[in-house]
Amino acid sequence: MFGILTYRKPINYIILLNLLAYLFIFYNLKSYKFETFAVGLGIILLVCTTYLIIIKNRLGDEYLFLIVSMLLSLGVIMIYRLDNDAGIKQTVWSFIGLVMFVTTCQIFRLIKIWDRIAIYYVGLSVFLYLITLLLGRNINGATNWIVIGGQSFQPLEISKIIYILFLACYFKKPNQLFFEGMGFSETKKEKLNKLVLVLFTFLNVFFLMLQKEWGSILLISSIYIIVLYVYGKNTLFFICNIVMTIPIVLFGYFFVYHIKVRIDTWINPWADIAGKGYQITQSLFAISSGGYFGTGLGLGRPDMVPAVNTDFIFSAICEEMGILTGVAVILLYMLLTYRGLKIVLRVKKRFNKVLGLGITTMLGLQTFIIIGGVIKLIPLTGITLPYISYGGSSLVSSFIILGILQAISREDYADVGGEIDEGE
Amino acid sequence: MGIITLLMNFVFVLVIYCFIFSIIRLIYMDIKSINYYISNSNGKHPYLKLINQREMLNFRIEETYLLTKECSIGRDAKSDIIIKDPFISSQHAQIVKKEGIYYIKDTGSKNGTFVNDNPLKIGFEWRLNNGDKIRLGQVEFLFVDILSKA
Amino acid sequence: MKENKKIIEVLIAICSLFFILVGYLTYIQVFKSKEIVQNTYNRRQYQADENTTRGQIIDRKGIVLAFSEERDNTQQRIYPYSSLYSHVIGYNSKVYGRSLLEESYNNYLLGLDEYTKVFGLFKSSNQDKKLGNNLSLTIDHELQKLGHELLGNRNGAVVAMNPKTGEILALVSKPDFDTNEEVLAKGWKAMVESQEAPFLARATQGLYTPGSTFKVVTAAAIIENGLDEERFNDKGVITIDGKEISNSGRKAYGEIDLKKALAVSSNVIFAQLGVTLGQEKLEDIFRRVGFGTDITFDIPVSKSLFQYEKMEPNDMAAVAIGQGKILVSPLHLAMITSGIANNGVIMKPYLVSNITSPTGKEIKSFKREEFKQIMEPDIAAKLKNMMQEVVDSGTGKKAAIKGIKVAGKTGTAENELTAQKKDKAHAWFIGFAPVENPQIAVVVVLEYSGSSGGTIAAPIAQKIMDNYLKDK
Repeated sequence: MFGILTYRKPINYIILLNLLAYLFIFYNLKSYKFETFAVGLGIILLVCTTYLIIIKNRLGDEYLFLIVSMLLSLGVIMIYRLDNDAGIKQTVWSFIGLVMFVTTCQIFRLIKIWDRIAIYYVGLSVFLYLITLLLGRNINGATNWIVIGGQSFQPLEISKIIYILFLACYFKKPNQLFFEGMGFSETKKEKLNKLVLVLFTFLNVFFLMLQKEWGSILLISSIYIIVLYVYGKNTLFFICNIVMTIPIVLFGYFFVYHIKVRIDTWINPWADIAGKGYQITQSLFAISSGGYFGTGLGLGRPDMVPAVNTDFIFSAICEEMGILTGVAVILLYMLLTYRGLKIVLRVKKRFNKVLGLGITTMLGLQTFIIIGGVIKLIPLTGITLPYISYGGSSLVSSFIILGILQAISREDYADVGGEIDEGE
Repeated sequence: MGIITLLMNFVFVLVIYCFIFSIIRLIYMDIKSINYYISNSNGKHPYLKLINQREMLNFRIEETYLLTKECSIGRDAKSDIIIKDPFISSQHAQIVKKEGIYYIKDTGSKNGTFVNDNPLKIGFEWRLNNGDKIRLGQVEFLFVDILSKA
Repeated sequence: MKENKKIIEVLIAICSLFFILVGYLTYIQVFKSKEIVQNTYNRRQYQADENTTRGQIIDRKGIVLAFSEERDNTQQRIYPYSSLYSHVIGYNSKVYGRSLLEESYNNYLLGLDEYTKVFGLFKSSNQDKKLGNNLSLTIDHELQKLGHELLGNRNGAVVAMNPKTGEILALVSKPDFDTNEEVLAKGWKAMVESQEAPFLARATQGLYTPGSTFKVVTAAAIIENGLDEERFNDKGVITIDGKEISNSGRKAYGEIDLKKALAVSSNVIFAQLGVTLGQEKLEDIFRRVGFGTDITFDIPVSKSLFQYEKMEPNDMAAVAIGQGKILVSPLHLAMITSGIANNGVIMKPYLVSNITSPTGKEIKSFKREEFKQIMEPDIAAKLKNMMQEVVDSGTGKKAAIKGIKVAGKTGTAENELTAQKKDKAHAWFIGFAPVENPQIAVVVVLEYSGSSGGTIAAPIAQKIMDNYLKDK
């Protein structure tokens, strides 16, 4: 291939960034471990291979993956710098994630029954919540981990995907989801189906409440509201839903101690720096210490921030790579959202459209909720930053989502181009 | 030491922004070509759609070429569709329209013109149907004619 | 399509959310980060502290007033003169933060320059120990110590400055406190709750009624208006707008001129002349001497207050004798005194003369600078002459130094406590010497002392001036 080193190819920047970063870490941390380069080369290899697979197999939109692999690289760099072992683990998880990404993309395309198994989604969802409730272990203060064979994961990451799949099923044919051929009249059927939708949403919210996953509740309700806004035909129903959330929020503020504390520490974290405001103030200290260009990888003290690998990784990025990198990360997520919705706009199939919309808004909002939380723009709720935060289940589920989006984008390409679909 | 660190951080941030810029640039080019197609064709004219990933080619090429009239393809600056691919001859091929039907003919290329992987004899006019794949040099186009499809 | 339109709306909404994030992040960085970083709970700054040996602070002759030392693996700030500089240098504590010079010159003391501030404050956790920069003060340690001893356990302040340059030679405030970390920690709670307010730097942040010392300011306006040649009849008491104003001890001086009136500190004549001058001229001279102007100094200074909108005749009378609703800081009064001594020009006061790097290279030096002109040189000359008379034959006799011409003015200021109990007045003395070539200007205030300025404040000023001039 000509000009493989051209400045125009985004993938080259990802390679360059990784090389630079691991060089800095090697130099700055002064531990001089050669595994540093192994991690770096591993990530570069993973990203390039996957990229080539996408290009060669014409798996649709390539920007999605480019943006995500930049985010992934930044994440692994930061995690490795904070904790070498975690960084190596995250590299392994990235490998698993990328395999899942390609597999999901193919499976989703080849098996075409996804829009017809709504009842299984409900079943699986309830099942996941119940086993979490029964077998859940408490890790890092949240009782929503399941340990299988020494590996812990959070089923709720899967539940979110299932919820979006369910939404897509519902909005594909709002009146014909369930109760088909049971002798109900059309209007009755519509109402019953609507009831199922609302009940399923509440079921999710209820179980998440048991797990004290406020961030996820916020996320799921936002997706519900947004999808309803775009596809719901009935304005009155939409308004009812909005109005209904208000007393729930008020109830949460006044009667759930957890939520009240979070809102109070959001309003004034400085009142109790050593206690309740500890996390957020430490995060703000980290962000403020970085300046525009950061202290340099390995030269700051992001280790002073609690949960810096997961929820607060954005603060660490700001401290060591600078506010400008922080802004760049936000811009990358914005591009990702833009790209996702752009695909959704061009897709023809209703099911895929709703699915794409759900997935993209989920990625966008999840980012907003956690970044907004750590910079004290909104109350802090502990959810992960997609593709950057440390954690296997979060990373893998994010890649599954990306795989679905990738598969959807392929349909879009086939549409515009006529029939170039088969026979590669 | 301080200066080196600052410089390193600076380069680091610069790389990230270059990446963002290159992505935005590609997306922008993408949108522009689609808009071009939408605003000009209205589906009345057939067009050539690029099958290759444009990023894999290191010369200037559009995503779609609208065929409003007869046009020549080649490296030559006088061609209607100019493609600076080293494997394309200066006057490579021509698309002609006769009674509403489009034909393609090779106008003496070195590396040949292929339609659906069949090489064209020089001067032979191939009647183009919707979905035909045209390959010249490294470039591969799809011939799209919505009217004939309908 | 309607749905696509709505999807675009969703896109716009999410993008706006992201822009809000970017905006807020930028806002934190641009406006908040400095304040946040310096929060006491941010352990990073102690990182910088630990990595840097904080610079020394020395007086004008090189005596070390504050330095840092490694003790049990942590750095300790040591103040060898315990409480002497508590209201000049302040403290640097891991628990209680920083104050005064330790705070305002923190970046220099830690060797953080402008460039490091812009591009990230705290660099490299793994570098070798750095040395901070050293501060040289204009303070004369001997004079400071003398002022401290002379005040004894009375509350008040002593300010000595060089009227020609603005250098602060001594800046004593009482009560004070030991600034060494351990002692500070022990006494902190009691001091916070103490009614004596030991944390208040009296010399710079205390605001007092100036009393009769302010007659020199009124006198300047009187001379400017050509009233200094006239003679006045002092009957010992006068009633203005139904309010009685009397001399100390209701003493009547008869026919006297302005010079004599200042020397004996006649309230009757100054009150009368205040009314003659009127609101406009009084306000004008007050504004000129610096009321309503922020005094930029190395440590925080309270702004002097002139709290009148519309003045009644008895307000004018009160203000003319330094009573009423006016409040000044001792430093400000020292500046006014210096202004008179320096032919009508106040020099900008300063405490830090230069900053040197650990290798001895000068990083920054502060030179004399004009603050403002408050009166014409000829007016100042006449005032000097009158103030000399105060010390020669008037209320300020106790400030006289053998062989040196001293100018001064005493004051006994009534305040919120004197309304109930007579013996709570502030005792003041302002003065400078030698008259023909002023080298030092001194202000002494003893709060709620109950004694007159001439009796207890003037001897303190005399000793300080004498000591300083002899030393030269």
